[in-house]
Amino acid sequence: MATIEKTRAEEALAANFAGVADKLPGGRAVAEARSSAIGTFGALGLPHRRIEEWKYSDLRNVLKDALPPAVGSAGAVSEAAIDTSLRQLARLDAIRIVFVDGVHRPELSEAIETRGIEVTPLAQALGKPGVGLMHDDLPGHAAVVALNTAYVTDGAVIKVSQGAKLARPVLLVFARTAAGSLVTTRNVISVAADAEATLIEAHVALASPKGQDNALTEITVGEGARVTHAKVVLSGAEAQHLGTWLVKVGQSASYRGFQATAETGFTRNTSFLTYTGEDAKADISGVFLARGNEHVDTTLVIDHAVPACESRELFKGVLDGRGRGVFQGKVIVRPDAQKSDGKQMAQALMLSEEAEFDSKPELEIFADDVVCGHGSTCAELDEDLLFYMRARGIDRETARALLIESFIAEATEKVEHEGLREALQALVIGSLQRGKV
Amino acid sequence: MLEIKNLHVKLEDEDKAILKGVDLVIPKGEVHAIMGPNGSGKSTLAYVIAGRDGYTVTDGDILWNGESILEMEPDERAAKGVFLAFQYPLELPGVATLTFLRTAANSVLKKRGLKEMTTPEFLKHVRAEAAKLGVTDEMLKRPLNVGFSGGEKKRMEILQMSVLAPTLAVLDETDSGLDIDAMRVVAQGVNALRGPERSMLLITHYQRLLDYIVPDKVHVMARGRILKTGPKELALELERTGYAGFVGETA
Ligand SMILES: Nc1ncnc2c1ncn2[C@@H]1O[C@H](COP(=O)(O)OP(=O)(O)OP(=O)(O)O)[C@@H](O)[C@H]1O
Ligand SMILES: [Mg+2]
Repeated sequence: MATIEKTRAEEALAANFAGVADKLPGGRAVAEARSSAIGTFGALGLPHRRIEEWKYSDLRNVLKDALPPAVGSAGAVSEAAIDTSLRQLARLDAIRIVFVDGVHRPELSEAIETRGIEVTPLAQALGKPGVGLMHDDLPGHAAVVALNTAYVTDGAVIKVSQGAKLARPVLLVFARTAAGSLVTTRNVISVAADAEATLIEAHVALASPKGQDNALTEITVGEGARVTHAKVVLSGAEAQHLGTWLVKVGQSASYRGFQATAETGFTRNTSFLTYTGEDAKADISGVFLARGNEHVDTTLVIDHAVPACESRELFKGVLDGRGRGVFQGKVIVRPDAQKSDGKQMAQALMLSEEAEFDSKPELEIFADDVVCGHGSTCAELDEDLLFYMRARGIDRETARALLIESFIAEATEKVEHEGLREALQALVIGSLQRGKV
Repeated sequence: MLEIKNLHVKLEDEDKAILKGVDLVIPKGEVHAIMGPNGSGKSTLAYVIAGRDGYTVTDGDILWNGESILEMEPDERAAKGVFLAFQYPLELPGVATLTFLRTAANSVLKKRGLKEMTTPEFLKHVRAEAAKLGVTDEMLKRPLNVGFSGGEKKRMEILQMSVLAPTLAVLDETDSGLDIDAMRVVAQGVNALRGPERSMLLITHYQRLLDYIVPDKVHVMARGRILKTGPKELALELERTGYAGFVGETA
């Protein structure tokens, strides 16, 4: 293999580790895992466009500079500042757990007194026996996971016990204050059999529009459990967000994921979802807004590893300016995964000539008795509909807004929790109005 | 009063003239009907009155109450009282009919310098008008026109007209696709709006509608012009003779 010259960012990412390694949480085993991970990263380098999974989002090109990793606690942050950054999500009645620059902040978080749920900051949990850092070999994604393993500072370890039905959602807030730093977080969530939970991650910026996030969430959904898992990325025009979801869905369970991304310079959200038991249902949907030079890449790998599971994905993007949307959806149906049922759709609404949408659906089907479909559309606002509305007295701006809202609504309506759905809708619509997309 | 003077319209992107000198005056309080063969330019006239893009007015003018409306945006025209019931109403997925009606009504009220309606006021008003037109509550909750039958869409157009209370209503083939009962219901809706302050233009292919909505005048449009104007009996005559005498005639 020809050696490719390392980029400035690749060199810095490998070199910065030595300077922070002794400040990172975890015992000896964790420290070893970290240094092995940085070795893996050193060998792999950043994924680039010649790697199939990164064709449209060339990290070697995008991550020009590696920002210094944030370690240790940032200064005082007010609850009001967190509320402002959360926008419409702030009003949601939820158990709030806050991390600032990748460090748990108890004074901003709610103490957990709810039965059936246990939340431990990852930094503490890593010290305990039996808690390590997952290091699965995810196709095309090893370098991103390795960076997360090496640098992770904190996150939430959540256990929802068997049969527990959480009345309030859990809202994990990841706020960034430090200008120009790398924030690396990881959540490890397990929802036991027959439990019900709604979990939200919000990745927001308090001050600077600049920063880099590497945020990973592992979630295991037990037999018969029902989980809603939402993620909001609202990180700043110059921020770069690398997100990874690793979802395992058990027998007869229901998992509903939703991702909303807006006002973030570069976002790549990669989700790997695997069924571990039959008759399970999963839905991963979302909305992404990109304007200016923003870039939002949604990559999904749905693995029907066992028979009789259902998967649904619906992503809607609104693209303006030179905004770019990418959707890569791969559905794998393993040889014995008969009666698999998968449907996927990605749609973009183009508000400018320079906007770009790349959609790459992929079906890898090795079983014969399956129903799988995918589609992708790319359209402009319908001028005839605009005229129809305007002929009824509605001004152009309002008519456009109504059309955009209705376009997005089909995706946001997938969110079953009413308060969350309304908050997400309001947040997305509010963001559209801010930017006058 | 609506005054259309020597109106010449071509397609914006093509050198295709569609209206070739339309002259038409509808005084306040009058209802006029336009009949004419397919492709003669009736819908184009309606669209140009409402302000749709894609057409170029090469000559002539449209005055509403003495003021030219050609430079106005469609929503400004609506605020001035212009309303077009579409020949083919559009579907608006994701926007509930009630939400749409409310947005339209409040936009128009605001532009007319009137107070916007509160939600209860608005609901009461819409429900009353809807009931008269046989539009159910369930339909009001559905996205506008999505999955509605042809006849239901036409009724929805009339409901919108009743809610917006225009002073110039142009109805483009609102009767097509309606069963006899629906036609009666729609005609009642239109007749209820007739008044000394309102002008109406009905575009239709069937004289039957004119039994329910009796026009003050009937115009025959063919090849982009009004070729004949007469009393309501003209419609009956056309029913017998067809348009043979108009389409063959060379300009
Ligand atoms: N956007 C367009 N592009 C091309 N041709 C057009 C366009 N709009 C109108 N025309 C043409 O102009 C002519 C008049 O059309 P218009 O729809 O106004 O007729 P009409 O009288 O309403 O007919 P109908 O009775 O069938 O509804 C037709 O020949 C039509 O094909
Ligand atoms: Mg027509």
